[in-house]
Amino acid sequence: MKIKLEHGAGGEIMEELLREVILKSLTLKSAGGIGLDALDDGATIPFGDKHLVFTIDGHTVKPLFFPGGDIGRLAVSGTVNDLAVMGAKPLALANSMIIGEGFDGEDLKRILRSMDETAREVPVPIVTGDTKVVEDNIGMFVITAGIGIAERPITDSGAEVGDVVLVSGTIGDHGIALMSHREGIAFETELESDVAPIWEVVEAVAKAIGWENIHAMKDPTRGGLSNALNEMASKANVGILIRESDVPVRPEVRAASDMLGISPFDVANEGKVVMIVPREHAEEALEAMRGTGRGKNAAIIGEVIEKYPGRVLVETGIGGKRFLEPPAGDPVPRVC
Amino acid sequence: MKAYRLHVQGIVQAVGFRPFVYRIAHEHGLRGYVKNLGDAGVEIVVEGPEGEIEAFIRDLHAKKPPLARIEKVERREIPPQGFDRFYIEKSSQGGKGGDSVIPPDIAICDDCLRELFNPTDKRYIYPFIVCTNCGPRFTIIEDLPYDRENTTMREFPMCDYCEGEYRDPLNRRYHAEPVCCPVCGPSYRLYTNDGREIIGDPLKKAAELIDKGYIVAVKGIGGIHLACDATNEEAVAELRRRTHRPQKPFAIMARDVETVEEFAFISPEELEELTSYRRPILTLRKREPFPLPENLAPGLHTVGVMLPYAGTHYILFHWSKSPVYVMTSANYPGMPMVKDNERAFEELRDVADYFLLHNRKILNRADDSVIRFVNGRRAVIRRSRGFVPLPIGIPFDYRGLAVGAELMNAFGVVKNGKVYPSQYIGNTSKVEVLEFMEGAIKHFQRLLRVKEFDLIVADLHPTYNTTKLAMELANEMNVELLQVQHHYAHIASVMAENGLDEVIGIAVDGVGYGTDGNTWGGEVIYLSYEDVERLAHIDYYPLPGGDLASYYPLRALMGILSKVYGVEELEGIIERCCPKAIESLRYGRVEFNVVLTQLAKEVNTSYASSTGRVLDAFSVLLNVAYRRHYEGEPAMKLESFAMRGKNDLKFEVPVDGELMHVEELFRDALEVLGRAPPADVAYSVHLALGRAFAEIAVEKAREFGVKNVGMSGGGAFNEPIVKTVRKIVEASGLKFYTTHEVPRGDNGINVGQAFLGGLYLEGYLSREDLML
Ligand SMILES: [Fe+3]
Ligand SMILES: [Mg+2]
Ligand SMILES: [Zn+2]
Ligand SMILES: [Zn+2]
Repeated sequence: MKIKLEHGAGGEIMEELLREVILKSLTLKSAGGIGLDALDDGATIPFGDKHLVFTIDGHTVKPLFFPGGDIGRLAVSGTVNDLAVMGAKPLALANSMIIGEGFDGEDLKRILRSMDETAREVPVPIVTGDTKVVEDNIGMFVITAGIGIAERPITDSGAEVGDVVLVSGTIGDHGIALMSHREGIAFETELESDVAPIWEVVEAVAKAIGWENIHAMKDPTRGGLSNALNEMASKANVGILIRESDVPVRPEVRAASDMLGISPFDVANEGKVVMIVPREHAEEALEAMRGTGRGKNAAIIGEVIEKYPGRVLVETGIGGKRFLEPPAGDPVPRVC
Repeated sequence: MKAYRLHVQGIVQAVGFRPFVYRIAHEHGLRGYVKNLGDAGVEIVVEGPEGEIEAFIRDLHAKKPPLARIEKVERREIPPQGFDRFYIEKSSQGGKGGDSVIPPDIAICDDCLRELFNPTDKRYIYPFIVCTNCGPRFTIIEDLPYDRENTTMREFPMCDYCEGEYRDPLNRRYHAEPVCCPVCGPSYRLYTNDGREIIGDPLKKAAELIDKGYIVAVKGIGGIHLACDATNEEAVAELRRRTHRPQKPFAIMARDVETVEEFAFISPEELEELTSYRRPILTLRKREPFPLPENLAPGLHTVGVMLPYAGTHYILFHWSKSPVYVMTSANYPGMPMVKDNERAFEELRDVADYFLLHNRKILNRADDSVIRFVNGRRAVIRRSRGFVPLPIGIPFDYRGLAVGAELMNAFGVVKNGKVYPSQYIGNTSKVEVLEFMEGAIKHFQRLLRVKEFDLIVADLHPTYNTTKLAMELANEMNVELLQVQHHYAHIASVMAENGLDEVIGIAVDGVGYGTDGNTWGGEVIYLSYEDVERLAHIDYYPLPGGDLASYYPLRALMGILSKVYGVEELEGIIERCCPKAIESLRYGRVEFNVVLTQLAKEVNTSYASSTGRVLDAFSVLLNVAYRRHYEGEPAMKLESFAMRGKNDLKFEVPVDGELMHVEELFRDALEVLGRAPPADVAYSVHLALGRAFAEIAVEKAREFGVKNVGMSGGGAFNEPIVKTVRKIVEASGLKFYTTHEVPRGDNGINVGQAFLGGLYLEGYLSREDLML
């Protein structure tokens, strides 16, 4: 086998690589909690009556600076969000940078300042790190690991029939903004990435309805909302029905994706959470999200159904229902 | 004295076959019995003098009822048992894996029609009048044998009068399972759209409401129609608004043939089809000037017309001033036609003003079939009511399921050397349609007594819902799954219908997933029991935005032009030739610029060899249509436009090896544009494409030593292309084949899939042949 770009594209082919090669090659995969086999956003390690949550994320975004953010902000947010959607308050981050020879030092400083700012927003300290320089012309890759603590870890597989699905804001911003910027596609309004840490959104909901009432969470990064919902549906063996018109999408993102022929549901978000909660707590959860800076555009987008286990359906008004499939390849590569 | 047991297979149930046997047995003084064997046909035991038995068997073939089809008679001599009379034995359940099928739904017959309007008849203006020669069959049958308990008529116990006719072997209604009368049968009621019943004669009132310009949902045989006065332009416009169908041609129903002749031309062949018991919609050429509103079929030279086929329709016209109704399937675009009363009130509340509903359930949805005569011969666009469930023979004996493609879907069940194509299923990208399909598959399995399959065949497209359904079914039932390339299947359908063993196939089509992952649709293919090979195709051109280009054909035009012209030139051409096309994009100029960037940087761009998109692109270039509101719209409008062209401008599609350079056709067109009439350009484009495909096919036929050239795909409905190809092929001494029974578009692809499935199972072609 030769590794192809598709193997990292977040689709079926990547899933196969993870399951057939990575999971099968490793044997010690759990530290007593949620381990590698779960392919969740992070792992858990029981710690007294709480749980440590541990996660890592490599960032290879192109270009390094983009409207609304840069690789530094992305690297901090990505890992903080993986902790957050496991229900963990971020405790500390580790930062590994792999830098290509010839990289501009001013750019490096800019990226580090941005990391610092983003980490302060959470807040979370960056407590350890590693720096390598290689001769390959890679620009810069940033790998961040994070550790957090959860009273009650939230998986992405806990959806129950009758539950309600929420998103914390507009969908598709990061992927569409990046693609437009990168390809020099001029739209009337410049699109901006949503890259941001969302711990405050998760924490607000937990305070409002209690950790026990968040049945499942996921950050819809690579593969977008489509992929996140499909994973949540298949892991819980339930169906998910969403109403297309209820999914918040910025008009400019909608327009751009209409013009490109790329669905905003299929591209990455870097500052959003998809949350599944019992129906009786849905309104409260929504209120809580909307009360935070990052959750103003939160919405209830659908529900968990019994029919069609493992699949996601979209209701499109008079057009009836269609299946929402996880994107096959990567419509927008190198975004995170 | 001799005795024989005869086993008759074919369409021998639900067509008055047993009373017919009873009659001729009496005529020949024979004794014994006749018995329905469910799906296994009919069993006859006759005793009597040898000569009379021979005469009886001759009559069995010669005098059989009009709807009966005898496919096989097995005869075995048995010892005489001394019957004292001839009688009709009770049905048995069948389940022996026989070959007997129920007939399709049959238009009301002349005898019933006469009674319908005879004021002294018990069933005077009673819309559910039937006899053994007519009426619903497929749509009301739940299971075999075809007995009343197995139909939706079981909810209506017969009154004594009806039962008398039903039991009298010499009566026209003997064992006519849906027989009923106003006393015992179903009835219509008329409601407002909020469910209040309107008192009075429901059909008469409905006719009056239609005359007044209202839209009335009318439940009929296979589903619910939306009806309005087709002579009332405003009513038609309102129906367009409410159904979200700005452009799609509406089928109309005319009171009688004379009425049709006032607004459309009918050839003798078309007349025969129009008045056949199938009563399909025929797309007929409009008279000019067209005396009906233009918004019935905007921008097309044809209009879809059918004649009344149910008592209901005749009665409505009887009471109505208007001689022509719009009769379009009641559904939102892409959704299954509504057939149940409760659903009607839910789904059609905002569409229909009134509801004319009856209380007999429609078990199996069946849309109206659509036929078009292309180059003087029948082409089936949609094969449904009136056709289904009649089979198509294939030379392979296995039990299989062919799930079709995605749009215009129908599946086929294979059994005993035949494919039984399903009714029209529709656009299976919709979950609702897929659910309808799943139910219909189960129903076909029950009717045909096929519990298990040897093979399930699906399209090569990985994300079609039908492909996924096939995978699921194959998993659940532990059956082998075979995926076949879309256009191989199209060509195979030509082989199936015409019994060919090899062919050079021309697949002119919209889209089909190619073995290389590109979008195919302009292919010349060799297909035989030995091999399948793609010999030539339209050279790939980019489609910026992928599937978007189907809906906004300017994208296809830009993609094709980008092969010949640089960005700036391309921009200039569009601005000069079809500036309105830019405005037709959802985001106008901004989007136009995005498309240019997409082309320059290959952002979300797919590659296609589709003929459909080429025609679409010309439709834009010549300012005929900028949008696709319904499947095939720009190409269909281009064809209509080309019908006005007179001169062949001798355009040419250069062929280089296996590549057909259609982009040069655009260069040719651009050169004469401004000087030549656009209609001539459109006309010449069709001829040039036809010539190019035909010439390659002829050349390849010589090379391969093949005598047959076949044509299929959505483009095979295109009159000028088909005509051109056929002329060239036949002038070269080769045989030209297409299909007249199997739909040429994706509605017929299940038959080709079933044929390929047979080739695969019998070891002629491998899995790789069919998908690589
Ligand atoms: Fe096709
Ligand atoms: Mg992650
Ligand atoms: Zn009749
Ligand atoms: Zn009666």
